[in-house]
Amino acid sequence: MKREWNEALVTAIALVMTSSPVLAQERARAENSPTPAKEKARATVSCSAGAEKLTYECRIELLGAKSGTPVTGADVTVGADMPSMPGAHNVKPVKATPTGEPGAYKAKLALEMHGEWALKITVTGRVRDVVIHRMRFD
Amino acid sequence: MDEYLVGVLSNIAVLGLVALSAYLLLLVGALSFGQQAFFGIGGYAAGIATALWSWSLIPALVWGAAIGGLAATALAAPTLRLRGVYFAVASLAFAEMTRIALELFRYRIEVDGDLRGPDGTQGFREIRCVFENGITPGEYLLILCAVLAVALVLFAWMERSRLGVALRMIGTDPELAAVQGVPVTRFRVLAACASGMLAALGGGLYAHLTTYVEPRNVDVMLGVHAVAYGLIGGLGTAFGPLLGVIFDIGLLEGTRWFAGFRMIVFGGLVALVLALRPRGILDERAVHQITRIFRGKA
Repeated sequence: MKREWNEALVTAIALVMTSSPVLAQERARAENSPTPAKEKARATVSCSAGAEKLTYECRIELLGAKSGTPVTGADVTVGADMPSMPGAHNVKPVKATPTGEPGAYKAKLALEMHGEWALKITVTGRVRDVVIHRMRFD
Repeated sequence: MDEYLVGVLSNIAVLGLVALSAYLLLLVGALSFGQQAFFGIGGYAAGIATALWSWSLIPALVWGAAIGGLAATALAAPTLRLRGVYFAVASLAFAEMTRIALELFRYRIEVDGDLRGPDGTQGFREIRCVFENGITPGEYLLILCAVLAVALVLFAWMERSRLGVALRMIGTDPELAAVQGVPVTRFRVLAACASGMLAALGGGLYAHLTTYVEPRNVDVMLGVHAVAYGLIGGLGTAFGPLLGVIFDIGLLEGTRWFAGFRMIVFGGLVALVLALRPRGILDERAVHQITRIFRGKA
């Protein structure tokens, strides 16, 4: 039995040790990649109820936080978490598509229940950012 | 790996730590509905360390866990003499006090030209250490799994040691444990401190996973779930609470079989398991039988 516990301990240590080189590799990759734009994004979100129950059509407007210029051509993903039960109500992240207007994107969210949600908008491309937008869905 | 699956597994790991923290207190016979307080304290403390003080992730998580442990010890010292429902109410009251305190907590300083920090009811955004260091969700999941694995190994070691036996004795009959020479109060405070550290570590990891933490995270729902995970999964082993989390987050939430009815199903399940198996699926008897099977003595 003692040997089994030793094996479990070795496995745990191995897990910790294997995660460190992965992180180091990732850091090196990030250092070698072109410098990401420093500017952050500012998001304005409006959602309206969709045709199906608990689905919402959301419009996201992204502007550069300092320049105020629309963030165009970015990859935008929207996820959601319920602040009152962190981690327990996770919404499958959906890709937002450009609406055609500069800096405007649309996404269809399928929530699990009504209430207050924190939308997590991940932006990659010219602007790389994570924007949290809290809103109530009734 | 699919982004959604990574998210679900990450949540299982974070909530697993909170469930283990409630389980540790259940072992010594203390029912806590206040583990969310330490989760929030850990999230804010670790977030402040990386976002405002520019610490790296690991020292920030250790700092958050230490502050959580300190807060848990401060709560435990005067309240652990309370029994049953009285301690549960005291822990819940402490969590609500923490939530309200975080709603009033403002500590914003300028970092890289931006004003950052906890902003009362608006929460604490811009905890971007993981994001800015280019750690992908998959890699962060590895870190979460490693932390959870270390916690489980420590539990496994503790439960087979004299300390584990003493803790279970306290949980079963504190007077008898005291007669046997077990320092009941000291061990209870020790368990509370370790449990606060675990929940705070979960909070610190969660804050860096989402880049965001807010007073609403310190909601009673998290405290109730943390206890429920142990009661469903079982109190015979530290894998019990993890089983409870996997069942709720992995099966009920992850598969979305029950969609909007999930919380009703979960509540009904807690009632059913408590009626049929008061100490959960992996209770002491089940663990004993499984151990015998693995030893080939069945």
